[in-house]
Amino acid sequence: MAELADYSGPFDPDFSYDRFTKETLLILIRSHAEYVRRIDGQWYLAVMQECGNDAAFACDAIVWEKLEAYTMKTTSNLLNIHGDDVVTLIKALQANPWSSSYKFNVDLINNDHAIISFINCPTLLALERDGSGREMLICNKLEVRLMELKAHYFNPNMIVTPLKLPPREPNSEICCQWELKVERNR
Amino acid sequence: MKGLIADYSGAFDPTFSHGKLAQKTLAKLMKATSEYMRRIDGHWYLSVMEKWGNDEALDCDIKVWERLVTYEMKMLSSLLNIHGDDVVTVMKALQASPWTLTYACDIDVRNNDEAIVTYRNCPTLLALEKEGKGREGLICQELEPRLMAKIAHYFNPSIEVVALKIPPRSGNEDICCQWEFKLNR
Repeated sequence: MAELADYSGPFDPDFSYDRFTKETLLILIRSHAEYVRRIDGQWYLAVMQECGNDAAFACDAIVWEKLEAYTMKTTSNLLNIHGDDVVTLIKALQANPWSSSYKFNVDLINNDHAIISFINCPTLLALERDGSGREMLICNKLEVRLMELKAHYFNPNMIVTPLKLPPREPNSEICCQWELKVERNR
Repeated sequence: MKGLIADYSGAFDPTFSHGKLAQKTLAKLMKATSEYMRRIDGHWYLSVMEKWGNDEALDCDIKVWERLVTYEMKMLSSLLNIHGDDVVTVMKALQASPWTLTYACDIDVRNNDEAIVTYRNCPTLLALEKEGKGREGLICQELEPRLMAKIAHYFNPSIEVVALKIPPRSGNEDICCQWEFKLNR
């Protein structure tokens, strides 16, 4: 079956994503990651406009407290990413539905110890543009909790330490930086 | 293609990207992502509803989706080169929508300016029916017609969208909803 680069041709009653080339699927995956981010962001903004930032933040925390484990579970089941070490978490972070929207570097010291630096975060860019300082709540409170939830999905003893969090210095390349560590009794 | 992986059970790859995954795996991931979108949306709705009630949640839902439907149509039409002002163009966009991966729908294109869309399976409706509070009365009867019209009007503001069948439905065997899209030239 011929692979399609796009859907400019005639209507296909049996259309499915399987018809697309791999390049097109990858473009769609990236665009879906951005769409995921926008669904979450638009909900936050709609609640903030209706009920204020405290309400929006409270809902955001409830939503992600529930969904973070689901995110890790789906990603690890689909891609067979299993284990209880830091490197397993890093693999899930590389592959989860959000990953295409963000850029991060990983310094893997060993399987139980890594430093992860986010160097592009469209959410932080939007918050910085917004200028109302919402990153103080979202990055400093919520994200710390969410990184722990992700880590603890794989190992409840994984220690998450934020090394750098917004607000960032002018011209700083790093949006946030985290140390992930498991200490084992040998 | 050489070296594509079916999953990520192997060693950590510092240069991992989705491009290293086999096409079948990518298709599975896309399906999972569309279910993920539905859950994000659903959890936001529920968290607002639990704190401030259903009216507030519905107001937010309307605001969110009136903005996002246009974003989605713009994204799909530009990424997949879906352009035109007829009903069949709208049908192509509906087929390509990430949401369609979580729903089962039949599209009967009568001609380029007329089509009937029938949703046979809708996990959102199933969840609403299971909840039993009758919220489908608002979501399916008020919000969805607005969103269907918004989708159609992105391509042509003169396309008419008529809900032929809408919940509540007679039973589990019944279709979820059915829509007529028509353009009179």
